[in-house]
Amino acid sequence: MVDVYLVGVGGQGIITASKIVGDAATLAGKKVLLSETHGMAQRGGSVVCTARIGDVRSPLIPDHGADVVLSFELLETLRALCKASKNTVVISSTERIVPLSVSTQKLRYPTMEDVEGKVMRTAKAFMQIDAPRVAADSGVPMSSNVVMVGALAGTGITGLDRAHFESAMKMNIRRDLAENIIAFSEGYRLASPQP
Amino acid sequence: MSRILEAEPGSTMLLMGNEAIVRGALEARLSVATTYPGTPASEIGDTFAKVAEQAGIYFEYSTNEKVATEVAIGAAASGLRAMVSMKHVGVNVASDPLMTFAYTGTRGGFVLVTADDPSCHSSQNEQDNRFYALFGGFPLFEPASPQECYDMVKKAFEVSEELGQPVILRTTTRVAHVRGPVTVGEISVGPKKKEFVKEPARFVTVPAVARARHLVLLEQLSKAEQMADESEFNTVIRIGDGGRQGIVTSSAAANYTIDAAKGMGLHVDVLKLGFSNPVPSKKLLDFLRTHDIVVIVEELEPVLEMQVRSLAQREGLGTKVFGKMDGYMPRAYEFDQAIVTRGLARAFSSDQKETTRCELPQDLPTRPPVLCAGCPHSATYYAVNKATNKKALFASDIGCYTLGVAPPYSTADLLVCMGSSVGTAGGLAKVNDLPVIAFIGDSTFFHSGIPGLVNAVHQGHRFLVMILDNRTTAMTGHQPHPGSARDPCNPGAISVSIEGVVKGCGVKWLKVVDPYDTSATTEAVKEALTQDSVSVIIARRECALIAKRDEKGAIVKKHYIDQEACKKCRTCVTKFQCPAISSIDKLQTIDEALCAGCGVCAQVCPYKAIKEAP
Repeated sequence: MVDVYLVGVGGQGIITASKIVGDAATLAGKKVLLSETHGMAQRGGSVVCTARIGDVRSPLIPDHGADVVLSFELLETLRALCKASKNTVVISSTERIVPLSVSTQKLRYPTMEDVEGKVMRTAKAFMQIDAPRVAADSGVPMSSNVVMVGALAGTGITGLDRAHFESAMKMNIRRDLAENIIAFSEGYRLASPQP
Repeated sequence: MSRILEAEPGSTMLLMGNEAIVRGALEARLSVATTYPGTPASEIGDTFAKVAEQAGIYFEYSTNEKVATEVAIGAAASGLRAMVSMKHVGVNVASDPLMTFAYTGTRGGFVLVTADDPSCHSSQNEQDNRFYALFGGFPLFEPASPQECYDMVKKAFEVSEELGQPVILRTTTRVAHVRGPVTVGEISVGPKKKEFVKEPARFVTVPAVARARHLVLLEQLSKAEQMADESEFNTVIRIGDGGRQGIVTSSAAANYTIDAAKGMGLHVDVLKLGFSNPVPSKKLLDFLRTHDIVVIVEELEPVLEMQVRSLAQREGLGTKVFGKMDGYMPRAYEFDQAIVTRGLARAFSSDQKETTRCELPQDLPTRPPVLCAGCPHSATYYAVNKATNKKALFASDIGCYTLGVAPPYSTADLLVCMGSSVGTAGGLAKVNDLPVIAFIGDSTFFHSGIPGLVNAVHQGHRFLVMILDNRTTAMTGHQPHPGSARDPCNPGAISVSIEGVVKGCGVKWLKVVDPYDTSATTEAVKEALTQDSVSVIIARRECALIAKRDEKGAIVKKHYIDQEACKKCRTCVTKFQCPAISSIDKLQTIDEALCAGCGVCAQVCPYKAIKEAP
């Protein structure tokens, strides 16, 4: 049983990322359940997806139950910590998308030190990926989500083969597939355990 | 690219519950599908829209759920299989034809899909539509997974045709929007034409016919109960060694129940109901007789619980029944494994480590959905506040523009359902002295706003209707509506003119404005509010997301804030709202990547500090 909790902001391609994970698991012959909470998400709200690989019926991940938190945005990383425990690896993009409440209600966007401190106190490990930069370097600035999926694959926690992820990408990405594979590979490399 | 049609018979693929419903229907000789979009049902219609032509069925986005139901009834009464899908509150709109269609019955299989939304993820209430099955007399299927969505749709069509009765398939957000493995069969759609054989003694519900047909309905329901008793979807799942403790459950709650019972290490029998109306009385009584304690686990209303308790009382059984009527399970919001674990632990007096719900830190900035950069509604609301100085009452409606409820606009004071803004504005205007403005989107206006406008003209109500015309049904994913210039499902579709409808209703004062021109919009609102009858402004500008997609981002005039001219008055964030503008540590900036180039902020800035980028 592997539980992946994907979070971010509407428009970051989180649902596509979760579908890649789900199709990869299905191609590997594993049972998988995905859920998404979106509704009005494309209007820039918080988005949550879950991917549960294994023999389970409930699509929702219990509190403190995630094996991996895969976050596409720093503030959302903090919001996801309820699903984390000392068994959880948190992989977060360093991208910041400042919500309007910071401007209008004069709330403070957390600093990197805030995020690091809170994640390290809660989780087993914290991996930071500069996904927008990696995506830009691969030639498709919109491919941050694929960089993050690459990082998830690179950790090996899902137990799925790289080939399954790459086949799943072909099923879900319609444009610039070659560049997206480069973005995925770089994410994969950054998260792979050092030899 | 549609995996729905590509899937080979016998193959397993990952499908969303809504997609599985479409695939199942396409394998069940479906001929006609209709819908009005609404979360969490929208992907059913959107999937049909993509595949209908290729699959060889008829599909339409109808004007509202009532019309969608009636179009499907026409096809099903002729003898073809038809499906209509909608969100739970859509069934309220469709309930008038449905209640009497249960009397006439159907010749072709008829399946209504209702997608309920426990916890109101994207809805104005969390009503439990299983009550419609009891209310109107509809056989009811409740799938718990995408595979069951697929399997039960096929069965629902068979049951409908065998009984000659319309059938309801009810999902919830955690079924409709879950993706899971689905093993599919062979696609086999129904014919396109079928001659309606006249039979007024069945299909024309004058009182004499209705009285006779009510008895037929009751007779068919008792046959349906036998079918439910024999249904493979109503089965006992043994957890551990089973024993004298039992659980009755259905839908998404069944998933949480089975995971919770396994996680708790219980020895318990779970009677999972998939064909749940009429309730399978024999199976339930047998279950009650063979168990000492039975817990009912269902989301929202105690629909099964009331019936189980009544069966136990009728048969004089001493089985202890626990549920939500005695407080063991909550009656509001969706369940999860932890909630079900808590309830089961109390009912079965099982020792469980109490899991506390994780609370988020309070100081994290919230991220609610907001109107997009370049959204014409944002410009309209800015202009309305400028014209009225916020001294007005705002009747709002269902759409992206409902987000105007939040600051800085606060342009929503009353909202109950689709199309309600125009009617409620009439009542507000009658008993209040403040000016009243109704906001309604183009799709919602066609859906159910028109009768309110006719009423306002006829009764002489005095208020302003602003039709926020962004040329699409934006919030649910840009589906077409009767005013759309293009309908992907119907290339010959005729665009119905909103101006024509408004004038036809008898409105004397009508103006069309471009919301991006904030001074013209402000002046129009001021003038409209001086009229002594109902007035209408159509604020017309294409949804910014569509404009961006169609222009491929090429023709935009990006803006920036000239920091030397900026006086730090913060008007651009206190009177206006744009995701591209941020104000952090007294510094206002525009994110060029997010800027849609609408130029409205440049009109908002009192110091002309917002300028077109060179």
